[in-house]
Amino acid sequence: MANARALDKRRKSVRNIRKITRTMELIATARFKKAMDRATAATSYTRRITEVVASLAKSGTEVQHPLLEERTATDNAALIVLTSNRGLCGGYNGNIIRETMRQFDSLSESYENVKLIVSGKRGITNLEFRDYSADDTYTQFEDEPLFEDIKPIADQLLDEFIAGRLDRLDVAYTKFISSSKQVAVVETLLPLGSVGEAEDEIGIDADFEFFPSAESILEEVVPMSFRINLFKCFLDAAVSEQIARMVAMKSATENADDMIRNLSMTYNRARQSQITGEIMEIIGGVEALKS
Amino acid sequence: MASDTATQNVGRVTQVIGSTFDAQFDDDKLPDIYNAVEIDLGENGILTGEVQQHLGGGRIRCVALGSTDGMVRGQDCSDTGSPVSVPVGDATLGRVFNVLGKPVDGRGDVEPDGYRAIHQTPPLVTELSTNTELFETGIKVIDLLTPFVRGGKAGLFGGAGLGKTVILTELIARIASSHGGYSVFAGVGERTREGTDLWLEMQEAKIGDTGRSVIEQTCMVFGQMNEPPGARLRVALSALTMAEHFRDTTGADTLLFVDNIFRFSQAGSEVSALLGRMPSAVGYQPTLATEMGALQERIASTKQGAITSVQAVYVPADDPTDPAPATAFGNLDAFLYLERNIASKGIYPAVDPLASSSRILDPQYVGERHYQIARQVQTILQRYRELQDIIAILGVDELSESDKMIVHRARRLERFLSQPFLVAEVFTGKPGEITPLEDTLRSFEEICNGKWDHLPEGAFMYIGSVDQAEEQARKMEEG
Repeated sequence: MANARALDKRRKSVRNIRKITRTMELIATARFKKAMDRATAATSYTRRITEVVASLAKSGTEVQHPLLEERTATDNAALIVLTSNRGLCGGYNGNIIRETMRQFDSLSESYENVKLIVSGKRGITNLEFRDYSADDTYTQFEDEPLFEDIKPIADQLLDEFIAGRLDRLDVAYTKFISSSKQVAVVETLLPLGSVGEAEDEIGIDADFEFFPSAESILEEVVPMSFRINLFKCFLDAAVSEQIARMVAMKSATENADDMIRNLSMTYNRARQSQITGEIMEIIGGVEALKS
Repeated sequence: MASDTATQNVGRVTQVIGSTFDAQFDDDKLPDIYNAVEIDLGENGILTGEVQQHLGGGRIRCVALGSTDGMVRGQDCSDTGSPVSVPVGDATLGRVFNVLGKPVDGRGDVEPDGYRAIHQTPPLVTELSTNTELFETGIKVIDLLTPFVRGGKAGLFGGAGLGKTVILTELIARIASSHGGYSVFAGVGERTREGTDLWLEMQEAKIGDTGRSVIEQTCMVFGQMNEPPGARLRVALSALTMAEHFRDTTGADTLLFVDNIFRFSQAGSEVSALLGRMPSAVGYQPTLATEMGALQERIASTKQGAITSVQAVYVPADDPTDPAPATAFGNLDAFLYLERNIASKGIYPAVDPLASSSRILDPQYVGERHYQIARQVQTILQRYRELQDIIAILGVDELSESDKMIVHRARRLERFLSQPFLVAEVFTGKPGEITPLEDTLRSFEEICNGKWDHLPEGAFMYIGSVDQAEEQARKMEEG
């Protein structure tokens, strides 16, 4: 309270922090718009293709596809974790990490090998600190993940799944529900059978005619559905990250404002009392000299 | 003190300003500086004054050690030929005195071994004891971070209402009740009520299991805030003189408690301008450091015996840079700073673990282990304090994992520094905890190393050693 200079210095540093958080907020807002457009654009396609696969699977065709089969083997599972490369986004990463650890531990109980694939620097370092070692890491995904970048990853996972080296694939990410609601979730992407069932109500009871053959259609559509679903996870994560950052930075800026206000008040008070003290000393000295 | 009238040196009062007055003596029979002079005020009793200055021309300027009500110019002012002297020795034990050494407890006169002048020269450097030994109090935060020195001086600094007096009474309860030697309590310019409470408490408290009450080994000297500045200025010296006698003659360990040394400086400042001295920084007397030095230098342990002293120091407006506390600070071995932020969190004793320190917190005296643990605790709390602004702005989530861990432990350490007091049992309903040093060290070590990370913060409030945290956590869960 006493030292006006120290208070002023502190206020300056809070002002600098505020500048950063304010800028981050604005940038996040701009990026959020873009990311949201991409995510919503992908939503309809994803839903549709999932529906098609689901109804195909249900339509009772004799055709089988390895991705649609239930797996009973419990040897290998994989967990993909989508976190951000940058911080300053509030509880965004923390929530995913918490979900990840819970899921990883429960997977470890039923599966022999659980592979951990982490995207985002924050998640990598965070999980490392908690002694969860990642088998694979990606840091190239920023706020605009491209389908071309995700395709090779998806294909590799598909190959492993078909070859039987992988029995289950989970993704931990932040699901974008609306611009005011995002939740950290864990979803099972492989085997695909579990994916479509939730969205059954819009299911179309149409009869499908396959041309040239059911096999060739499934061969194309089913893997595509998986890739798209995985891609959608990345898109959702990107939007959610921007929203989380926007919200976190907004409240940080407000907190900084409050702090600056308080510091200014104490600073002014300290300064005033210092001046008063000095004046009193001078007057006191003069009075003492007079008598 | 009054010698026969024939040879008595008598002057006349020439001026009265507040609690100071001037007197005219014969040029060649000037009373010495610090001599006591007496003035018969008739129905107002006898006023004692102390010579402060020689003004030249046979005039002296004095500070009144009592009220100057009813004093007029021309009254006789007689020199007693010596400074104010107070009774000393075993007869003073169990009694309560005022600044002049007159008993005020209504138990009749004392028959002392002798009288001793309140102005003495401090012991020579060659006489001082060079022994340095830790003085265990059983209060965790003190033993760990600001270990007291046996035969040393400890200060309790704090603003209004932070619990200085409570800690001081607690120390009396802890130390005096297990201590074989003598205790002297000086009440300087604080509330009279506190003095009475202490007096009554000491009569009830027993020394160990001897069945004797603490008061039988204690003498108390009071010059509380209702007294004029002169009395408050000298009462610390009166008490100190009695303590010095115990030290020099019996060789026993003597405890000297002073509440509150700031009032001594304040009283000096009240009379300083009246004595015609130019005010110095923040309106204090220019002789602030000299006065404090003259008092503090005498509170020393010599080869004959030790005086261990605990002093409360009021910090005006919570500003430790104020000249009065700053001057007292330099004279002390251990230094406890009470912080308002900590008190407002409900953590008592509200000792600031970072601002407080002790001369003997050094591997040479307390040992390497104690030193490392204390430093580790301070490092964690220091880091937590640095992070506080960031947490306030960005939230805990933005911290790195290792910083989160530090915050986690720091919050537990902070709460663990609280402790139930013996004297506060009536308020808290919790019996006081005396924690042995070894338990204290082990507890802090374990918290720093993360052994108790799983317990909720609340479990660390007001317990003794950390083992009690588990039990408290269970109780909290049960509701």
